[in-house]
Amino acid sequence: MPTPADPAVLPVDKEPAVASTEGALAPPATGDRLHALDLALAAALVVGYVGCLLATVEELGYARDEGFYFHAAASYEQWIDLLLQAPGRAMTRAAVDRHWAVNHEHPALMKTLFAMSHRTFFDRWGWFAEAGTAYRFPGMVASALAVGLVFVWGRLAVGRRAGLVAALLFALMPRVFYHAHLACFDLPAVALALASSFALWRSLEHPSLGGGLATGLVYGLYLDTKHNAWLFPAIVLAMTALVAFDWFRSPVRPRRPPTPWGLVAILTVSPAVLYVGWPWLWFDTWARVIEWGRFHLQHDYYNMEFLGVTYWKPPMPRLYAWLMTVATVPGITLLLAVLGLGAGIRRELGERWRWLAERLPRGALAGGPIAGRTTVALWLMSILVVYAPWWSTNTPIFGGTKHWMTAYPFLCLFAGAGFEVVARQLDAALASLPVRAWVRSALPLGAGSAVIAAPLAMTSGAHPWGLSSYTPLVGGAVGAATIGLNRTFWGYSTGAVQDDVNVLAPPEARVYLHDTAQPSFAMMRRDGRLRPDLRDTLDIARSEIALYHHEPHMSRVEHQIWVIYGTASPAVVGTHDGVPIVWVYARPE
Amino acid sequence: MSRVGLLWLAVPLVGLAELGAHQWLAGRAPSVAEWEALRGEVAALRKEDELVVVAPAWAEPLARHAFGDAMMPLPQVARADTTPFAYAIEVSALGARAPETLGWRVLDEHRSGRFRLRRLENPAPAGVTFDFTAAFSPDRVRVVDAAGQDTCSWNPAAPPVAGGLHGHVAFPAARFVCPGGMFFFVGVTVSEDERYRPHRCVWAHPPEGSPRRIRYRDVPLGERVQGHTGLSWFLMRDGAGTPITLTVRVDGDSLGTVVHRDQEGWRHFALATGRHAGTRAEVEFEIASERAVARHFCFHADSR
Repeated sequence: MPTPADPAVLPVDKEPAVASTEGALAPPATGDRLHALDLALAAALVVGYVGCLLATVEELGYARDEGFYFHAAASYEQWIDLLLQAPGRAMTRAAVDRHWAVNHEHPALMKTLFAMSHRTFFDRWGWFAEAGTAYRFPGMVASALAVGLVFVWGRLAVGRRAGLVAALLFALMPRVFYHAHLACFDLPAVALALASSFALWRSLEHPSLGGGLATGLVYGLYLDTKHNAWLFPAIVLAMTALVAFDWFRSPVRPRRPPTPWGLVAILTVSPAVLYVGWPWLWFDTWARVIEWGRFHLQHDYYNMEFLGVTYWKPPMPRLYAWLMTVATVPGITLLLAVLGLGAGIRRELGERWRWLAERLPRGALAGGPIAGRTTVALWLMSILVVYAPWWSTNTPIFGGTKHWMTAYPFLCLFAGAGFEVVARQLDAALASLPVRAWVRSALPLGAGSAVIAAPLAMTSGAHPWGLSSYTPLVGGAVGAATIGLNRTFWGYSTGAVQDDVNVLAPPEARVYLHDTAQPSFAMMRRDGRLRPDLRDTLDIARSEIALYHHEPHMSRVEHQIWVIYGTASPAVVGTHDGVPIVWVYARPE
Repeated sequence: MSRVGLLWLAVPLVGLAELGAHQWLAGRAPSVAEWEALRGEVAALRKEDELVVVAPAWAEPLARHAFGDAMMPLPQVARADTTPFAYAIEVSALGARAPETLGWRVLDEHRSGRFRLRRLENPAPAGVTFDFTAAFSPDRVRVVDAAGQDTCSWNPAAPPVAGGLHGHVAFPAARFVCPGGMFFFVGVTVSEDERYRPHRCVWAHPPEGSPRRIRYRDVPLGERVQGHTGLSWFLMRDGAGTPITLTVRVDGDSLGTVVHRDQEGWRHFALATGRHAGTRAEVEFEIASERAVARHFCFHADSR
């Protein structure tokens, strides 16, 4: 076993074959090289995922927040036009504030990309038939890059098949697939959290100024994407401390611990990237940064149903994040992640706290296939830090699973490692049995297919009802409705009943939008999904058609529709697996 | 490594088991088309105005869509409770039972596709002599101030108003319009309880400084006047308002006063009619609160 300060460095393609008689597996070292096949696989994953997202995007209505981001992106587009025409005027405070004030509670990177994509791919080149798809495209690309990066990291830290399984398990999380379509920040934040951690990992495994700068640069982009990024310094600090700890314990060590270039860079380079990338901060910088922080740290509490109770103020349930993870992430992904984590921890213990490792029952978990001195700790830290806010009963729970999705790539990386453990153990078992060679060689593919099948079926079955999807562990959508888990939010499911609205609505009808944002509805009309003569209203009494997206606390909206329309019978009910999600009322003539 | 190592096959098998479970669960609940196809059968089973209950409760919108207002009218959907109903049709899917009718006698039960239909009999239906919410109309009701003056006028076609998610409950077109602003009317609407369930009730926001009195003439009285009081839960669940009193009088005799506080939800009350039982009389509901700010009070009452 290599010491922490002197890890064995083996090329990845010379991974040790499995097998000690104790059932332990020697870990490979971090591979420094990606082969052409790996690059091809990564590219195929990225292109394939973008293709899947584009092929399914038309069925997905626009979420509430997307409407606000369309509006912001349109404002940014105007500023970009001004910048190209009159740069001097564009840089004045008046111009910056006028165009960048909209939606300034969120940083600008993705909205800027939405704007550029719309202006380029829709207005100029006409690549997309729908303006909404052009706005969504950068989010799709970011999501697909996250899938590709999961593969690359899994490949480097564990192996090719582990990377592939990890990437597919990530891509095939039903809620990840849903969010990956959107012109929102959640999946881009996942992608940049992953990229920041990856850059940090490279700088920890191979300390260099360049690695540190890369970490700072990528983290700056992450900061400019969403406030989830505020948690990342905790990970950097913990990992820096771990490296120092390893240096301190090493029997043979340099005079000084490795320079924490990553830490230095996130304190210097990243804020500069944020500043440059977010024009709203160019004036009154400190006041606006404080306002940004205050907005999210003192965020309103929205309503969220959990186990039949609607929570709208603290204390929030501590189990929420954990149970919702179990309820929405395919069970096989979680099982593999536990196996991978167990194997990783066993290796960590063996390297850093041998006395504890020796007390573990032998063969309890196969030894760690995860390479690198810091890999397991970084992956684990990236999960724990992201989930940490939900240990507090004051943390709002309204965002459902999207607020801790940044942990999911790491969950899947552990799952990839878990799959590697399973594949190697099975291979070793078959090696001692009289089976034909093709059986052994086909086994990884068969096992891989078996672990991917359920996530694939769940994800394809969940579309376009991503936020209503639940795993068999809670009985699927039916079980979730029965035990009282959130049915839907964000008003996006209007897309699932758009054809019915077009049929039901009389000419020039006003449609009560309920939870759908007005700019989201406007985009559906602009894209031709809804009839151009339909008008939106937030006044039930002035509407002829009324939408209702079910959440218990919103049922009062449905009750209002009953009284105003004089009927309790919806004309259309949109269901997912037989569970009502959205319904449409038509005012009787 | 021995054959024991083959136990690791359990992991991919778990994946396949999850696939099977997903497929089974996804197709378990009846589709919209199956609900729609059930309409004729339920219509044949239901007599007069019998109640239709749905199990599991989350499937009720599908039943309302499929069966329509004729079989699931708003007053029944937004009922106060099931006690007045003598019979009910339970439409059950996925083996669920409706908690409200669990103790009722099963008169008939049969399977229809993926549903189970039951005709149920209430073992002890309440003999309701008068429903104050159902009977609310200008023919029967006066809304007066403390001095007994008709300060509110009936408007059968006032502009209906709905507050949306963060606003007030719907204000119906037909209502007594009272001085003081839009909220100060008396009329029948639907308000939500502490579990966000609907209840049809008489809205009576108390006015500032003096009570609101709602008088029903010629009411056939049973042994008690009972019902529920409530405030729109979503708006009042934080409990910032002053208590509301509901005093019930029969021909000027007070039966008692109910005090409703914000966080009490949909609260039951019962007041004995005493010597007035079995007679026809004028019944007055007096609603008052120390401060008339955001007192979205609604009540349902009957005599039985």
